[in-house]
Amino acid sequence: MTKQNATQLDTAPLTEEENQRKPTTTQERQGFLPIETNAFDRCFISVVIWVAMSLFWFRFIEPMGASIWISNFIALAIAVHIVRKG
Amino acid sequence: MQSNKLGWILLAPTLVILFFFGVLPFLYVVFVSFHQWNPFAASPEMIFNGAENFRRIVFDEAFLNSLSVTVAFVVFAVLSELIIGYLLAQAFMKEFPGKSIFRTIHTLPLIMAPIIVGSVWKLMTTPSIGIIPHYLDEWFGITMNIGTSAPAAFMTIVIMDIWHWTPLVTLTLIAALVSLPRDPFEQAQIDGANKAQTFWHITLPMITPALVATVFIRLMDALRTVDEVWMLTGGGPGSSTRFLGVHIFKEVFPKTNYGYGSTISVIVLYLTIVACWLLYVSMLAPRKNRKG
Repeated sequence: MTKQNATQLDTAPLTEEENQRKPTTTQERQGFLPIETNAFDRCFISVVIWVAMSLFWFRFIEPMGASIWISNFIALAIAVHIVRKG
Repeated sequence: MQSNKLGWILLAPTLVILFFFGVLPFLYVVFVSFHQWNPFAASPEMIFNGAENFRRIVFDEAFLNSLSVTVAFVVFAVLSELIIGYLLAQAFMKEFPGKSIFRTIHTLPLIMAPIIVGSVWKLMTTPSIGIIPHYLDEWFGITMNIGTSAPAAFMTIVIMDIWHWTPLVTLTLIAALVSLPRDPFEQAQIDGANKAQTFWHITLPMITPALVATVFIRLMDALRTVDEVWMLTGGGPGSSTRFLGVHIFKEVFPKTNYGYGSTISVIVLYLTIVACWLLYVSMLAPRKNRKG
């Protein structure tokens, strides 16, 4: 294969079959979080925050009388915000 | 579409094995962590107790002590392994007499089972028969007894881990260094960059992916160290070397407290994943964003 042919092949538009074989990429975006994230990343961050908040609540807030459900509602609100705007 | 089907068919055996031996046990541990379950107690049945185990764990002094000891161990051991491993990798990039013999000897600890490493180090550090306390006493007048001194026991475990796992870091970094292109280094030399500048601005950014992979492996391993420590100190003296792995072992096997042991395991897994993720984000995400 000559160099010219190779260049033509490289720049030629993809056929339908090649388009199907193209690896699918996850949709990443930049929200208010400092890094580009996809949907899985944002769910993961939400779960991490939920667990950390629950443990913190058990240790420091619950002994003062506040129920863990308050923490769960706050974590859920944060999760929705992160998933939608993060 | 055809190639997609073939891909899934080829992946299927791995996915099935992964599901039965990875995902299912993990889900079961999470399920058990919400229960009170001691199969050898008067009431051996599994009793659902909600988040009670998690409520208990944040006040458990033994667990919190294990956590702090483990974090200290991970920081000391992994950082030392990275620094020594990198220096050794750089040394192996140069030619010197006896290089191949030294490289073979240096890699030997890696092929030893952790339980053997623990027993060998126990023999070497036991007072009156061990070679290390003997020479420390003879040459420097230092009395070393890992059975009574908490700092000595902790430092011995850190040194043992460095001795055991540095070769892995060295081998990974040699592979990374060998694959680096020569052009940027020659260009830096022409521009008059010194060794420190070359390291910070060329070598380190280029080996970062290999470095991150190595740190991941070592971090995960160090967080669940059990057998070496169990063999060498058994978690003592007191609870000075009672790492998280040893703490889980003592909770699950001698006390047969499966529910609470599962809770600790889930928390350790959570901490490991978060630590690795933070490391990944801090080291690789800035590079990714720069490229974008």
